[in-house]
Amino acid sequence: MKSGSNLEKVLASGNPAVTAELGPPMSASPEEVIHKAKLLKGFCDAANITDCQTAVVRISSIAAAKIALDQGLEPVMQMTCRDRNRIAMQADLLGAAALGLKNCLCIAGDHQSFSAAGRLKGHPGAKNVYDVDSIQLAGILKKMRDEGLQEGGDKIEEAPRFFIGSAWTPGGDPMDYRPYRLKKKVDAGSDFIQTQGIYDVEIFRRQMKKAVELGVTERTAVLGGIIVPRSAMMLKYMDNAVAGVSVPKELIERMAKAKEAAGDDKKKARELQEAEGIKITVELIKQVLDIPGVKGVHIQAIEWESAIEGIVKEAGLYPRPGV
Amino acid sequence: MSEVEAEEKNNEVCVPEKTHFPPCRDACPVNTDIQSYVWLIGEGRYEEALDVIRSVNPIASACSLICHHPCEQQCRRCDVDQPVSIRPLKRFALEQATEYRRKKRRAVPKTRDKSIAVIGSGPSGLTAANDLADLGYGVTIYEKNPDLGGMLSSAIPTYRLSREALKEDIDDVLSKGVESVTDCNIGHDITLEELKEKHDAVLIAVGLAESRSLPIPGVEGPGVLLAIPFLFNAAYNKPTGMGKNVLVIGGGNVAVDVARTALRLGADKVEMVCLESEEEMPAWDWEVEEADDEGVKVHHRWGPKAVRRDGDSVKGLDVVKVTSVFDENGRFSPSFDEENKQLMEADTIIITIGQMSNYDFLKGSNVERDERGLIKWDRETQMSTERGIFVSGEVVTGPGSAIAAAASGHRSARAIHLYLEGQDIAQGLHAVEKARIDKLPQDVAEKVHRVSRNETELLDPKTRCREFVQIEIGYDELTALKEARRCRSCGGGAIVDQNKCMACLTCLRVCPYDAPVVTNVSYISPDRCQACGLCAPECPGRAISMFGYDINSIRREMPSTVGKAEPSRKDPVVVAFMCSRYALDKTVSIPANIRKVQVHCASRIDILDILKAFESGADGISVVMCDSEGCRHPGVAGIVAKRLKQAQGLIGPLGIGSEAISYIRAAEGQDWGKSLTESASKVSVRNK
Amino acid sequence: MIVGSQKPLDEIWEMAKGFKKVLVFGCNTCVAICHAGGDKEAQTLASLLRTRAVQEGLDMTVDSMAVQRHCEPEYFEPVMDKVRKYDMVLSTACGVGVNFLSGRIGNVHVYPGINTSFYGAVEAPGVFTELCAGCGDCILHMTGGICPVARCSKTLMNGPCGGTDKGKCEIGKEVDCAWYLIVERMKALGTLEQLAEVRPPRNWSPGTAGGPRRLTIEHLMDMEESEE
Repeated sequence: MKSGSNLEKVLASGNPAVTAELGPPMSASPEEVIHKAKLLKGFCDAANITDCQTAVVRISSIAAAKIALDQGLEPVMQMTCRDRNRIAMQADLLGAAALGLKNCLCIAGDHQSFSAAGRLKGHPGAKNVYDVDSIQLAGILKKMRDEGLQEGGDKIEEAPRFFIGSAWTPGGDPMDYRPYRLKKKVDAGSDFIQTQGIYDVEIFRRQMKKAVELGVTERTAVLGGIIVPRSAMMLKYMDNAVAGVSVPKELIERMAKAKEAAGDDKKKARELQEAEGIKITVELIKQVLDIPGVKGVHIQAIEWESAIEGIVKEAGLYPRPGV
Repeated sequence: MSEVEAEEKNNEVCVPEKTHFPPCRDACPVNTDIQSYVWLIGEGRYEEALDVIRSVNPIASACSLICHHPCEQQCRRCDVDQPVSIRPLKRFALEQATEYRRKKRRAVPKTRDKSIAVIGSGPSGLTAANDLADLGYGVTIYEKNPDLGGMLSSAIPTYRLSREALKEDIDDVLSKGVESVTDCNIGHDITLEELKEKHDAVLIAVGLAESRSLPIPGVEGPGVLLAIPFLFNAAYNKPTGMGKNVLVIGGGNVAVDVARTALRLGADKVEMVCLESEEEMPAWDWEVEEADDEGVKVHHRWGPKAVRRDGDSVKGLDVVKVTSVFDENGRFSPSFDEENKQLMEADTIIITIGQMSNYDFLKGSNVERDERGLIKWDRETQMSTERGIFVSGEVVTGPGSAIAAAASGHRSARAIHLYLEGQDIAQGLHAVEKARIDKLPQDVAEKVHRVSRNETELLDPKTRCREFVQIEIGYDELTALKEARRCRSCGGGAIVDQNKCMACLTCLRVCPYDAPVVTNVSYISPDRCQACGLCAPECPGRAISMFGYDINSIRREMPSTVGKAEPSRKDPVVVAFMCSRYALDKTVSIPANIRKVQVHCASRIDILDILKAFESGADGISVVMCDSEGCRHPGVAGIVAKRLKQAQGLIGPLGIGSEAISYIRAAEGQDWGKSLTESASKVSVRNK
Repeated sequence: MIVGSQKPLDEIWEMAKGFKKVLVFGCNTCVAICHAGGDKEAQTLASLLRTRAVQEGLDMTVDSMAVQRHCEPEYFEPVMDKVRKYDMVLSTACGVGVNFLSGRIGNVHVYPGINTSFYGAVEAPGVFTELCAGCGDCILHMTGGICPVARCSKTLMNGPCGGTDKGKCEIGKEVDCAWYLIVERMKALGTLEQLAEVRPPRNWSPGTAGGPRRLTIEHLMDMEESEE
């Protein structure tokens, strides 16, 4: 065991792993974190605690992860490269480990210009850091864990033992390069991979084949990312505006039909679309788990954590293995 | 007021000295700055054009009518379509500015206590007299004829050069205080010795005032006339001895003059006979054509053998066929076919085969003649073999054009001045050669706006050949402006101050003719530049100026252009930059609130000029420019439109709306005056 | 070259309005090439300020002048006496020029007329793009000549991130994804496998993070004092 985390154990057992996601609030009160943790507990092996996603200020991942941990939900803390230099990163990692956190996802982080979107003003003028990139960060965690050394070379008394995760966008361009970059992440030390949302299973299947050929899937656990669609509009948005995500027309049409069936009833339209969304999610989960090299799924129900229970049960992934 | 006057420096007069002679200027014996005066004519600035012309040419009016215009033959438009009509344009400008010219005449103070005698008042004598008077010397002209002008007044017929026109030239010279003695034959009425005593230097400018005759049988006696006396008698309304059926021997310009004069004196039939073929004939093409139109028939390739007489009367001329005129070396050496002969019937034969001078007046002096009989002279000093006696014009150069004689006169005047100052003449006369502009490159020629040459009109040949009236009808103003704008301003274009240039490549990118060559600095090729004016306003380093005009003039004059903008004004003050095509259009009236700024092309409008207008209190600006069809230069309208858009962006933060800047791309026949007034009416009056 | 653009007129006016004698001082090298601060732009700005002064009823003298460069003292020292006569010098040189002049002019305000932005090239006439960050430790031999420091919005050393969309950066469609360009170029050059190696965290100290930089070239120093 590298970290002894629940996620690590489930993966080691050969069972498909399920991770979910918990988005912290823009608040100094722990209430919402506690509430969401309760919603997710038992329905996933670990839950990602996002770190200022889209550069929007929320409770930090480490703090929210600790709150979640205290509720009995195993967290996967996230660390972006946008807001901290390597000094702060390593200090926070030592602290996180001391607080009992065992899983860490290393990501580059959205550019701060994203924080000013919709009704939010955000901090688009903040000075971003990007002292190291996500691959280098994975390397830092590995060096700390396996060599007991800081990035600069100084010794660490008690090494933080993290289960190291990285993100992967199999559908991003240049697409033919993406499997090679995945290999770099694994070479740097990634123990598990969570992908960007998959809707076009064929593309993912093709990329996974390549990953298998590169020997990556033997060294790391790939969890296919599934973003739960809530509406036709959301699917269209994902297709147009989110990099690396392409949504097949049939799925958008299904959601659109669900909406139409409700006619003018807005409440019904929402219900029908949500129901269809969950149906689609379950289908995707089953298809993705079927692909060689895929070791689990990472289900993101954005600001809809309550849906996880139903999805996991429908997909036949409940109960979660007790390891 | 600024202590440093940096702003004044930015608006200083900026007209760099020209570095290159275009082919027209190079071909002109006196290197007239043709580009300048043609440009000025195109801008309606006739008085300034006159000044440019007369600054190097004291026989300007004469030349404007009779010069053989070597400039036109070399005009670079010959490689495009037809040359610019430079000579008629010169005539137009001089005639337009007559009042101004006459008002300018004043005596030149004699600042030097030396005087010069000028023998002969033809082109070279008049020119030398003019120059020496300008230098402050006392000058006296000695002329053997009753009038001044030499061949110009006594041999060149008045249907080519009117008395009135020549008088302007002569009055210009005389008004400076030059004395003249007419009906004065040197050697008879006064001797060379006496002149040497009276004056400090003498200039022999007697020309070739005598006609050569032919040593053929029958030449003596009535009915056979010589050219110069014939023309002189015609000029002075004296009997010429001419009959009704005239045969002129000769193929040069004087022969053509003689033939056409004979027509006007009432001959029934006038024909010419010459050794040369049509192509070889030395007379100018256009003169032969005009003669032909008037009914003068030319017999080519016949040589005179003898004058056939019947008693005293002339019956005709026996001629033999000429087989060739020039030998293998190109030397004049006619050969004949004696078997092929005929009699050309005529009752009058006028011999016009060349001219010479009478040198009797040199007897007793130290002025020597060479082996050919011509006066011996030193080309480097214009001096004869006698110290203090100078020579100029045809008497030493041989037959040539009036303007070439004028050039010789300039040289002699300079030589005399150096001599009287005790300076080295040869060194002082040595001129620095200016670089020459080459042939128009093919790709540039292709881009030149095609406009056919506006030919001058001539009087009806059937009627004109019976009277001594100027046959050429000069240009009207519209035509002159159109013709002047055909000039491509070779040598009047852009020049880069290489100390300021940092090779940003902007000029290269904006030039429609690919004229800039950029290495570590930009150099604008005079062979390619067409003086459109697009580059100078674009240069971010203000490194480019124009030979042909002052790039800062509009800005400098803007405060007075805008004038006073009454605070209580109802109509906005709008500065309208107008291409001279529109600015000079007298048929369109522009309301008083629109202040005109005339530009040779919209291309020269600078952002700084526009801003200066606003700075000076204008409420708005407008531009009237040609559309792409009518513009002399490709791409101008588009680039100027972009510049105006940029200007709108600049004045926005001053709270001035974009309607304060507008433009009109005037198409042929469009009522641009209406469009301009409409645009101007949309401009708001700015609060003080 | 250094690329910048003129500050908005309103901002410049705020700087200038308190002064009676202003000199707009242009530079005819880099900022002239990007048409921000050469002689012509300096004259343009001076004209606009004069007009604005009249609009506001302020008695203000605004002149303009330009020299070849503001970053080498030999170019502006000959005019310093003239320049010092003004209350405020509005420099339209790049930030280097403003700093340099401020350090040598004495007690005269030197204000910036332009915002200096980047080192760039002329991609097409009128289009200037940033290509170098002056990081002091060039790695272009490892990225096909395309700089991830200047041209990747996240200065990734092992890019691209997941934000690449059709070859463009997540921050905007007009921004090329530098890592997309790097991968494609190295593919074309046949050196793509060089990217397989994980680049370790970078030493940023040769760049601005290490503090203001200084370069000395021995053989160019103190030339008037050299014996030979």
